[in-house]
Amino acid sequence: MTALTEFRDVSFAYPAGAKGRAPFELRELSFALAPGEVLGLIGPNAAGKTTVIRLLSRVLRPSRGTIMVAGEPAESLGRVAVARRIAVVPQDVPQGFPYTVEQLVLMGRFPHAPARFFESREDLRIARAAMAMTGVEALAAEPLDRLSGGERQRVVLARALAQEPRLLVLDEPTSHLDLRYQAECVALLRRLNRDRGLGILLVSHDLNLAAEVSDRLLLLAGGAAVRLGAPEDVLQESLLEAVYGCRVSVDKHPATGRPTVSVLWPDGR
Amino acid sequence: MTGGARLLWVCGGLLALLVAVAIGSLLVGAAPVPPGAVLDLLTGRGPAGGSDRTVVLSIRLPRVAAAMLAGGALAVAGAGFQALTRNPLAEPSILGVSGGAAFGVVLAQVSGLGQGVVEALGLTVFGFTGAVAAGAAVYLIASSAAGFPVHTLLLAGVIVGIFFSAAITVLISIVDANRLGGVIHWLLGSVAPIPPSQLGIFALATAAGVWLVLGQARALNLLALGEEGALELGVDALRVKRRIFVGAALLTGTVVAFVGPIGFIGLIVPQVFRMLLGPDNRVLVPAALLGGGAFLLAADTLARTVVAPAELSVGVLTSFCGAPFFIWLLRSRVARVTP
Amino acid sequence: MSRPLRRLALIALGLVWTASGAAALTVVDQTGRSLSLPAPPRRIVSLVPSVTEVLYAIGAQDALVGVTDFCDYPPEARRKPHVGDMLSPNLETLVTLKPDLVVATRSGNREETFDQLKRLGIPVYLVDPLTVDDVRRLVADLGDLTGHRDRAAAVDHDLERRIAAVRDRVKDRPQPRVLYVLWPEPLIVPGRGALVSELIALAGGASVTADQGQGYPRMSLEAAVGRAPEVIVLARHGSRVGPTAREQWLRLESMPAIKSGRLYLADGDLMHRYGPRLAIGLEKLARMIHPEAFDAPAGAPRPGAPR
Repeated sequence: MTALTEFRDVSFAYPAGAKGRAPFELRELSFALAPGEVLGLIGPNAAGKTTVIRLLSRVLRPSRGTIMVAGEPAESLGRVAVARRIAVVPQDVPQGFPYTVEQLVLMGRFPHAPARFFESREDLRIARAAMAMTGVEALAAEPLDRLSGGERQRVVLARALAQEPRLLVLDEPTSHLDLRYQAECVALLRRLNRDRGLGILLVSHDLNLAAEVSDRLLLLAGGAAVRLGAPEDVLQESLLEAVYGCRVSVDKHPATGRPTVSVLWPDGR
Repeated sequence: MTGGARLLWVCGGLLALLVAVAIGSLLVGAAPVPPGAVLDLLTGRGPAGGSDRTVVLSIRLPRVAAAMLAGGALAVAGAGFQALTRNPLAEPSILGVSGGAAFGVVLAQVSGLGQGVVEALGLTVFGFTGAVAAGAAVYLIASSAAGFPVHTLLLAGVIVGIFFSAAITVLISIVDANRLGGVIHWLLGSVAPIPPSQLGIFALATAAGVWLVLGQARALNLLALGEEGALELGVDALRVKRRIFVGAALLTGTVVAFVGPIGFIGLIVPQVFRMLLGPDNRVLVPAALLGGGAFLLAADTLARTVVAPAELSVGVLTSFCGAPFFIWLLRSRVARVTP
Repeated sequence: MSRPLRRLALIALGLVWTASGAAALTVVDQTGRSLSLPAPPRRIVSLVPSVTEVLYAIGAQDALVGVTDFCDYPPEARRKPHVGDMLSPNLETLVTLKPDLVVATRSGNREETFDQLKRLGIPVYLVDPLTVDDVRRLVADLGDLTGHRDRAAAVDHDLERRIAAVRDRVKDRPQPRVLYVLWPEPLIVPGRGALVSELIALAGGASVTADQGQGYPRMSLEAAVGRAPEVIVLARHGSRVGPTAREQWLRLESMPAIKSGRLYLADGDLMHRYGPRLAIGLEKLARMIHPEAFDAPAGAPRPGAPR
C-alpha cells in the first residue's frame, strides 16, 4: 500500500543568515507513514519537529531529498493538491479580525475548490459536520476572539477536519486543554483513526500521550532520527536520558500495558 | 443565508444608497437649479443649451462621478491593505504611492511643466508617473527579502512616503509666492469635475485595481490564519501579496493623480463596514467600493454647499471626521483587548 | 442708377454689413494666446482684483458681471456678484452669471481653473503684467476689448504723466539702498522682473534685492541685513503685517535704515495691484525714499507713520 507520506533522505537548512552559519535543521531524515497509522513525533526542543511539519505542509521546501505524498512527489503535486491530502492543526490561530467559528471552519474547504468565490452548500454541510465532530457547533456564529483557548483549539481541529484530509498533522493538540478536553480529544482522534482510516502525525511534548495513542514513535534529536519503532522500543530509559539529558524511569501502564515515562526530578543539590 | 445571497443583499442596499446620494448631490449646489429642471436634464428631456444644462451636466455630474470613483477606490485600497497587513489601522497612504503621486503633481505645478497642456492629461500624467516610481521603489525594496514579507513592505512604504513628503516640502520652500497658493490648495485635496475622457481612464484604472483586490478576497480571508496557516491551506501567499499591493497602489495612485490627496477614507470606510458586516473580504470589498463612493460623495457635497459659493476642501473635511473616529476606534479596540 | 443695379448694390452693401457684424473678434491676450470671440464681450467675470480696478477706471464696469471676494476697490465693486476666491472660484456660480469672457492671471489663479473654463466653453483672457509698460498696455488692451478706448487712453496718459513727474523729482539724486519686504516670515522680497523692483528704481532707489531671483523669491534675513539697506519698506496686506513685525525689524539696529529711523509701512494694494493706483503707490514710495524731494516736514520722518 502506498504510504500516506514518505520522507526520503530529506535534509533542510535555512539559507545562510546574517550570522553566517547555516546549521542543518534536518539531516537525511527518512520515514514513512502508512495509511491509517498514528505516528508520534517526539524529541527535545529544536530537534526539528516543527520543521518536519512545515516541510510536510509545503511551507518550507527541502534542501535535499524528496517528500512523497500519497505516492507522488510533493513538488509535482502543488500546494493545493497537498492541502487536499494533508491538514495541519496548529497550536493556535493568530488573533486579528473577528471571523466567526463557522467562517474559520469553512476556510478548510479552500483546497477543494480554490477557484470558487463563495463556498457551496456542500462545503457548508461538511463544515457543519466537522464542527459537530469537535463539539463546537453551538459556537458557529461566535467570533473567535470571544472563545477560550480550549474552544479555539477545537475550532482549529474542526477546520482541519473540514479539509477532509487523509493525513492529519497535529502540533501539540492538547497543550491548552484541561483533562476533560484532553480525553475528549484523544477519543475523537481514535474514532477518526479507526472509523475513517485517517492517518495521524502527532507532535507532542507529552510522551505518555504519544505513547498511548501512537502505533509508532519517531524520536528526533538534533535534526536526525534517533529511533523509529513501537513505543516500547523507543521509550527506553538509557535512550531517553541520552536524548533529553535528564533522568527518567519507564514503567508499564497498569491498564493499557503501554510504556509510561516519569521524570526523576532532581533534588537541586 | 449563503455568502452569495448576502453579498447581493448588501450590494443592492448600498447601490440604492449610492444612487440616492448621487441624485441628492445633483440637486444641490451654488447655482439655483430647480429640482424639476435637474431631473429633466438627467433624463435627457431638458433644454439643449443654457447655464442650467452646463451646471448640471458639465459641472455637477462629472464631479459626482469623480467623487464616487475616488471614494470607492480609496475604500477598496484600504480594505485590501488592512487585510494584507492584518492590521485594521493601516491606511493606503502608508503604501508610499500617494506621496509619489503628490510629488509628481507638485513638481509639475512648481516647474510650470503642466502649463499649457490644456485638455490633455497634463498634471495627471505627472501624478501617475510619480505613483509608479514610488510603487516600483517600494516593490523592489520589499522583493529584496525572500517571500515579499509584509513588514518589509510596510517599512518600505513608510520610508518612500517620508522621502516624497520631504521632497514636496523642498519644492514648496522654493516655489514662487504666486504659485504657492495653487500648490497648497491641491495638496489639501479637492474633487473637481473631470472631463469625460479622463473620467473614462479613471474608471478603467479603478476597475482594474478593484478587480485585482476582489479577485484575492477569499485568499485574503485565509491570510487571517497567518501566512503559514494560509500556505498550509494551499494559498499562494506570494501571489496574493503581490496582487494586493499592485491593486492597492494602482487605486491609491490613480485617485491622487486625478483628484489629489484625500485622507481617512481608506481608513474609516473599511472599518465601519467591517464592524457592520464582519471581516469577510468577499462582502467587505464590494461594500467598501459602494459605501466609500457614497461617503466621499456626501462629504464632497457638504464641502461645496455648506459655505457656498466658497468651498471647503474635502480632504480637510474627511480629516476632521477622521481624527475623532480614529480615537474612538483605538479606545474601543483597547477596551476589547484588555480583559 | 438703374433699378436692377440699385438692387444689386443694396444686396452687396447688405452682405458687407452682415459680414462685418458677424465677423468673429480675434484678440490676443497678454500671454500671446489668441482668442476667438463671437462679439465684443458684454458680460465679463474678473478673477483678478487688479483687473477689476482697471475696468472701473476705464468706465467698463457695466460689462462686469462677476468679481472675486478680494475685489475690494473701488468699494462699489464689492456689490457685484461674487464667484469665490482666486484659487477656487465656484464654477456653478460663474456659469450662472453667463459670462462671455473671463479675465484671469497665471500668478494668482490656477491652471486647472482655466482648463475647466475652456472645457465649459467660456473663453479665458489671461493677463500677466510684469513691468510698468505691461500695465499701461493692459489698460489699453482692456480699453480696446470693452470699447472704452478713449477713457483707457486718458487713464494711461494720466499714469504716464504722474510717473514722469516722480522720475523728474528724483533724478540725479543719489540712490539710497532700499529693502522692500513683501512678507516678513519667511522673508519674501522683490527680485528680477517684479513690478515693485521697477517702482523702486523709478522712485530713485536702489533695491538691494534686485538680483535675488525671478519674481518674488525668498531671502535669508541675514543676507538682507548684510546688504545694509538705508530704507526699509514693509508691505501691509490688509492688516496682516501688524505692529509685531515692525518691532522685530526695529530690533535689528545694525542696519542704517533703523539707525536713521527710516522704516516705513506701505499699503501692499498700491504696490502690487496693477492699475491706475500704481501711480499713487509710486508717489508714496518716492516720498519714502526721497522725502527731501517732496514737501516733507523738517526733521527725520517718523518710522511707521502711515503716509
